[in-house]
Amino acid sequence: MLSIKNLRAKIDNKEILKGLNLNINPGEVHAIMGPNGSGKSTLSNILTGKKGYEIEGEVTFEKEDLLKLEPEERAHKGIFLAFQYPLEIPGVNTNIFLKTSINAIKKARGEKELDAIEFLKLIKKKSADLKFDEKILSRQLNVGFSGGEKKKNEILQMSILNPKLAILDETDSGLDIDALRVVSEGVNTLRNQNNAFLIITHYQRLLDYVIPDYVHVLKNGQIIKSGGPELAKNLEKLGYKDFN
Amino acid sequence: MESQIKLDFENFLNKEKFSSSQIQLKKNNFNEFIKKGFPNKRIEDWKFSDLNQIIQTNIKKLNFINSDIKKEDFEITTVKDFEHNKIIFLNGVILKVDFTFEENDKIIIQQNHNINEDNVENSLVSLNSAFVSNYVKFTVKKGYETKKPLIFYNYLTSDITSSALNIRIDIDLEDGSSLNVVDLSNQNLNNNFINLRQNFHIGENAILKKYFLDTGNSPNIKYIYNNLDLSKNSHLEYFILSSGSKFLKNDIICSLNNEYGSISLNGVINLDGEKHHEIKTVINHKDENCKSYQLIKCVLTDKSKGVYQGKIYVDNKAQKTDGYQLSRALLLNDQTEFNAKPELEIYADDVKCSHGSTSGNIDEDSIFYLMSRGLSYEQSKQLLVNGFLHEVLEKITDEKIKIFIKKLTGLENEY
Repeated sequence: MLSIKNLRAKIDNKEILKGLNLNINPGEVHAIMGPNGSGKSTLSNILTGKKGYEIEGEVTFEKEDLLKLEPEERAHKGIFLAFQYPLEIPGVNTNIFLKTSINAIKKARGEKELDAIEFLKLIKKKSADLKFDEKILSRQLNVGFSGGEKKKNEILQMSILNPKLAILDETDSGLDIDALRVVSEGVNTLRNQNNAFLIITHYQRLLDYVIPDYVHVLKNGQIIKSGGPELAKNLEKLGYKDFN
Repeated sequence: MESQIKLDFENFLNKEKFSSSQIQLKKNNFNEFIKKGFPNKRIEDWKFSDLNQIIQTNIKKLNFINSDIKKEDFEITTVKDFEHNKIIFLNGVILKVDFTFEENDKIIIQQNHNINEDNVENSLVSLNSAFVSNYVKFTVKKGYETKKPLIFYNYLTSDITSSALNIRIDIDLEDGSSLNVVDLSNQNLNNNFINLRQNFHIGENAILKKYFLDTGNSPNIKYIYNNLDLSKNSHLEYFILSSGSKFLKNDIICSLNNEYGSISLNGVINLDGEKHHEIKTVINHKDENCKSYQLIKCVLTDKSKGVYQGKIYVDNKAQKTDGYQLSRALLLNDQTEFNAKPELEIYADDVKCSHGSTSGNIDEDSIFYLMSRGLSYEQSKQLLVNGFLHEVLEKITDEKIKIFIKKLTGLENEY
C-alpha cells in the first residue's frame, strides 16, 4: 500500500530524514517510536503533503507517486493524518467543517455527497461509538477544546472519513487513561484487512491497547531497528540511548 | 469644475422654490464648499482616502443637478426573506412609503425643504446642505416599538451618470421607541458621486438598530456622513457591510450625551478588485456610565484598500466609561493595503478603554490542516475567511436580519 524508499528531507537546509525505508501493507499496524527530533513528525508531514521540505527519494501509495499530489488529493486517495497539535479554527463550526470535508472527499471519488440528514445520522453514530459529546460539534473547530477533546476530535474525523492509511502523530500525548482507551478503541474498531495505520509515538502505553504488527525505531532520520511488539517493550525499559 | 458647479447651483436655485433666507443659507454652504473643495489627503481625516483624487480619476465631468426622473426605466426587487416596511428612494427622492405592519400615526414622514444652520466643519456636508432639497424627515412616536424592520431601498435610474447626488435623511426616535432599519445600497452601473447625510436622534430609553449594507459591484463613489445623538439609557446597534462600491467612506459620529447610553458598532469591509473603503468613527462619551464597543474586520484581496480610523473621546464628566475598539484585517495578497488609526482621547480618570489593531495573512498551517481533510486550497481559504468574519456577524442581534446578511455575504450556514 505505502512504500517509502530512501526518503531524504531537508528543511531550512537541515537534513531531518536521511534515507528512510518503510513498507506498509493493507491490514497492518506499524508503530514508529523515536526520541525527540528524530524526524517522526517530519515523516507524517511529508506523507500528508505539507509544503516547505526539500525531498528526495520515492514514496508511492497504491503504486502512485504520492509526492506529486496536493494535500487534498492525498486525502481523497484515503490518507489521513491525526495531527499532533490539531489547529484551532475560529469561527468555523465543527459540524460544517466535517460535512464539508466528507463531501469534498466523496465528490472527488465520484460518490454521492451526504445530505444534512444522512450526515447527522453518521455523526450521531460515530460520536456515540467514541463516547464523544455531540454538543461539542456545534462549537467552533477545536476552539476552547481541551487537549483530550482535540485528540478525540481527530479520531472522530478519522472514523468518519474512514481512510485507507491513517497516520497518528503522537495522538497519545496529553491524553489521560480514559481518553487513551477511547482513542485506542476508535482505532481498533476501524482496523480491518483493507486499511493500515502508522502510529507515531514516544511511549509504549498506546501500544498496550493497539497492538502493532511492526515496531520501528526512528533515530537521527533513519529507521535503525524494526521488530514486533516486543521491541516497544524493550525500548521502554532501555530508553533510546542504547539504540545505536 | 468650478464654473460648472456654479452654473449648476444657479440653475438649481432657480428650479427649486426656496425662501430668501433659505437661499442665503444655501449660498453660505455653497461658498464654504467652493472654498474648501473636495477633501484631499492633506486633510488629516482624509489622509488615507484622497477623495478629490478619486473623483478626478473616476469621474471626468461631474454634474450637480439631475434631470427629472424617468420612472419607467427601472424595476424594484424587494427582499423576500422577512416581512418588512419599506421606503423606496429613487435618485434620493421618496418614491414609495409602505408601513403596512405598523399602527397609524405612530410613524410620521415629512418631506422637508428647508435646512437649518449647522456648524459641521466638513466640506461635503456643506455641499450636501447647498444642494439638498425635499429630504426626508421621519419620526417614530413616543413609546412606539416598531413591529417589523424597515428597509430603505435606494435606487438610481440608469440615466443618472457622472452625477453628484446630495441626499439627506433625518430620523427621530422619540423617547421609549424602537426601530430596526436596513439600508440597502444604490445599485447603478454608472459612475456617480453619492453624498448622503443621515442624522439620527435617539430619545431616552429608545433603541435603534441600523444595518447599512453596501453589496454587489458598482463603480459609484459614496460618502456617508452619519450623525447619531443618543439620549439617556438609549441603545444603538450599528452594523456596516462595506463591499460593493468602488469607493465608500462611512463617517460616523456618535454622541453619548446622557448617562447609561450604549453603542455596539460593528463592521465588515470585504473588498476585491481596486475597491477602496473606509470606516471612520468618533464616539463621544459625554456623560457617565456609557458604554461603546466597536469591532471592525476587513478582508482584502486583489489590489483593494481598507481603512479604519476610530476615535474614542471621553469627556471629563464621563466617569465609569467603557470604551473599546478593535480592528482586524486579513490581507489575502501582498498588493492589498490596510490602514488603521485608532485614537483614544480621555479626560476622565475612572474609565476602561482599549484599542487594538491587527493585520496579517492567512495562516498556512490552518490551510494545511483543512486541506489534509480533503478541502481544496480555495475552499480552505474561504472557510478561514468565513470563520474570520463570523465573530463580527454574530454581533447582529436581529436574527432574521442576521440570516439575511449572512446570505448576502455568502456566509450562510448550510446547516
